[in-house]
Amino acid sequence: MWTLNNLAAGAVYFGLVMYAVFGGADFGGGIWTALASGPRAREQRDKLFYAIGPVWETNHVWLIFVVVTLFTAFPKGFAALFTALLIPLVIALIGINFRGAAFAFRHFGRETGERIPFMVSLFAVSSILTPFALGMAVTAIATGKIVFVNDWAQAGPWFWISPFTLVGGLVGMAICAYLTPIFMTVRTEGELQSDFRRQGIIAGLIFGLLTTVEIPVAMTDAPLFVDRLLSVRGAFFVTVSVISGITTQILLWRCRFQWSQITAIGTVTLTITGFAAAMYPDLLIGQLSISAAAAPPASLRAFSLVLVIGVIILVPSLLLLYWTFRGEPNPKLPQ
Amino acid sequence: MDNVLSARVLMGISLGFHIIYATIGIGLPLMLMIAEGLSLRTRDELYHQLARRWIRPAGVLFAIGAVSGTILSFELGLLWPRFMAFSGPLIGLAFSMEGYAFFVEAIFLALYIYGEQRLSRRMLFFCTIVLTVAAAISAVFVISANAWMNTPTGFRLADGKLVDVHPFQALTNPSWAHEALHGTLAAYVATGFAVAGVYALHLLRGHRSEYNKRALTLALAVASVSLPLMLVSGDWSAMTIAVQQKPKLAAMEALFTTTKGAPLYIGGWPDPATGTVLYGIRIPNLLSYLAFRDTDAIVEGLDAFPPGTTPDPRLVHPFFDLMVASFFIMLAPAGWFWWLHWRRQEVPLNKWPLRALLLASPFGMIALESGWLVTEFGRQPWIARGHMRVTEGVTPQTSIGLVLFTFFVVYLALTVGLLMLLMRPATIENGTKAPQEDRHVDP
Ligand code: HDD
Ligand code: HEM
Ligand code: HEM
Repeated sequence: MWTLNNLAAGAVYFGLVMYAVFGGADFGGGIWTALASGPRAREQRDKLFYAIGPVWETNHVWLIFVVVTLFTAFPKGFAALFTALLIPLVIALIGINFRGAAFAFRHFGRETGERIPFMVSLFAVSSILTPFALGMAVTAIATGKIVFVNDWAQAGPWFWISPFTLVGGLVGMAICAYLTPIFMTVRTEGELQSDFRRQGIIAGLIFGLLTTVEIPVAMTDAPLFVDRLLSVRGAFFVTVSVISGITTQILLWRCRFQWSQITAIGTVTLTITGFAAAMYPDLLIGQLSISAAAAPPASLRAFSLVLVIGVIILVPSLLLLYWTFRGEPNPKLPQ
Repeated sequence: MDNVLSARVLMGISLGFHIIYATIGIGLPLMLMIAEGLSLRTRDELYHQLARRWIRPAGVLFAIGAVSGTILSFELGLLWPRFMAFSGPLIGLAFSMEGYAFFVEAIFLALYIYGEQRLSRRMLFFCTIVLTVAAAISAVFVISANAWMNTPTGFRLADGKLVDVHPFQALTNPSWAHEALHGTLAAYVATGFAVAGVYALHLLRGHRSEYNKRALTLALAVASVSLPLMLVSGDWSAMTIAVQQKPKLAAMEALFTTTKGAPLYIGGWPDPATGTVLYGIRIPNLLSYLAFRDTDAIVEGLDAFPPGTTPDPRLVHPFFDLMVASFFIMLAPAGWFWWLHWRRQEVPLNKWPLRALLLASPFGMIALESGWLVTEFGRQPWIARGHMRVTEGVTPQTSIGLVLFTFFVVYLALTVGLLMLLMRPATIENGTKAPQEDRHVDP
């Protein structure tokens, strides 16, 4: 269990969770920018915008972390994934680019007001596109349709489109749309807070619905995945994540926002953990195991050493960042 | 376009695009640090304001640096999966370390930009120190990955499989030291000149505020301290290449045949058909001297290596000359400026020295881009020299031409958007405060 291979796989898993929780919330900001409605739509958008400002670049680095860890520790798996998933990854990349650029342009171009509406729609559209494409790409790994011929990964050009992955894309979006309003409830007050509370509850219902639908859909598209998901280990995480999700809804209902923020993170983490548990011990389900994809031990040892040093540097820095920008988003922009 | 060519063009465009923002991301923090440091020491607010005014462009440029870098790390897999399957265990370490440096950079950049009201002045200064160091470190590590492609070490191949893997040996491969030094210094030169050019333009347009003068002096000081070091470290690079990457040296210098007491060609067009350099200036024995400090040394030409294993001198030699020429193009106006400055004990505001500076200001970036083209074209046809050809590293996917087109459009859109944003004459640079009210526009 505690092998170097699994440690490295754990790092990939951890990076994914961090990206989903923090980066996901930033994408959710874009999704709710598109969906903002009611008399306070503008305030909602502004609050979202200010909250994302200081943190999105840091949150984005988790994605880089996942990619780099994959090619360092699982070069064979990385090569297979990036070969087979060329199209969805290109789509995600385009979204990532326009989102980052639109956000920065809007932010630092404030004095040049007239471009803002265009930038906002670009920001919103790419915030929807990216988690959808990434959700499809991640769930496509669970279909088992990437096979190895002569040691080289092959898959049909459109294998990544199926009901299972489409729902997977929607789940990706739902994760983002779920976290953001809940995170925002602790950063706002009054009517705005109840707006975000309502959005959080709705998103929670949709998130729950989509993950539930994913299971029957997977029976045809990803049979091995469902088998493992419904085994003892997988079912455990499914159950706990459902409990966590329901708890979050209750807490939101009762306006316990601090706590609901924590359980919402728990729900997303446990959902991803359930996915990871069903994948284990494979990287590409049924085709390539973690140990078969792993880099030579010397590389994994070096990777782990650097990981430890990295954590020692990172943890205090991250704490400083989130601590400095805790609470109400500061509307005063740098000039 | 065939797949390999599309992949190469896309990789080249992506890197050429990213390096501009990455360079600014390395150079600007140093200037921020100096300005904040001076402000703390002299208690002169103007220096602090100087730094804070750079934030707006810096924020956008950093963001583009981050997204273009993300494209790159994906492209390693999308375009070169076979290469990464082979080299990931070796160069992955450098990228991992770079990743932690990115984290630190992003964190302290956010603290610096958004922390004005929440952090003390000292803390802001501290942020710029961390930023400067982290940016330089990230450059040094990513360059290690590139250096490994030039001189792969830290492994053995047995039946096409990696054995005896030593990642730290791969990290500290023989090209690393000279590339990292030369490449990081280049970022300071290029950013310094680019920023100096902006303020030279403002001064030329008659905005002779104290603010503009200080900004020009500071940026040019950073550039001018680093510039002479480029000559020294470039010379070291060339001498190291002369030993480690002989075909690259031959292509750089357009030396077709192995020669004792080899001449140096300045300019000219290498013609592989005849094996001669057309229209170039020929200085006898100089190449032997520069490469080996011996005017009679034997320098191996392109003919010393098996056909199909050497780069095309037509792609390498002109860019090498452009890099070296840029060095002199920058040296002259910088020297002139400091000479006048020293004579008068004040910032010279005459037209011609400023015009010369303005003219020289893009040449830092030009030199940097051409230097990278020398390194990259000079490695061909290898992706990992001596072990894997570019054609062996490329993806088996067949639609790369379309991907190239897509990203070309993405880069075009980013560039146009950025230019529109930065070209807008913000009143800021005159030293007067821009209108402050936040104009909220409801989407
Ligand atoms: C401001 C930019 C700049 C300037 C003024 C110079 N260079 Fe440079 N050069 C670069 C920016 C650069 C670079 C950052 O673009 C490269 C690409 C790879 C590297 O290590 O640095 C480079 C590479 C590079 C290489 C190839 C290194 C390799 O492939 O391993 C050599 C031999 C030189 N340079 C030599 C010189 C000399 C003799 C210069 C004389 C003045 C010079 N450079 C000025
Ligand atoms: C930032 C400055 C850089 C520029 C402008 C640059 C430019 C280029 C160009 C023009 C090519 C295509 C060469 C050809 O096929 O003829 C290329 C290829 C490539 N570069 Fe770089 N490069 C840079 C730095 C790096 C770094 C730091 C790495 C580190 C990993 C790297 C990795 C690659 C790879 C993997 C290829 C594809 C293989 C090949 O064509 O040799 N490059 N680059
Ligand atoms: C010599 C070439 C390179 C240098 C000097 C360089 C340096 C930098 C620097 C200083 C930054 C942060 C500053 C900014 O965001 O503007 C950056 C960003 C980035 N670079 Fe590069 N880079 C180079 C090539 C590459 C290559 C070859 C890759 C990947 C294959 C890469 C991947 C990235 C990524 C992923 C980011 C974004 C990090 C973030 O999210 O903040 N870079 N680069």
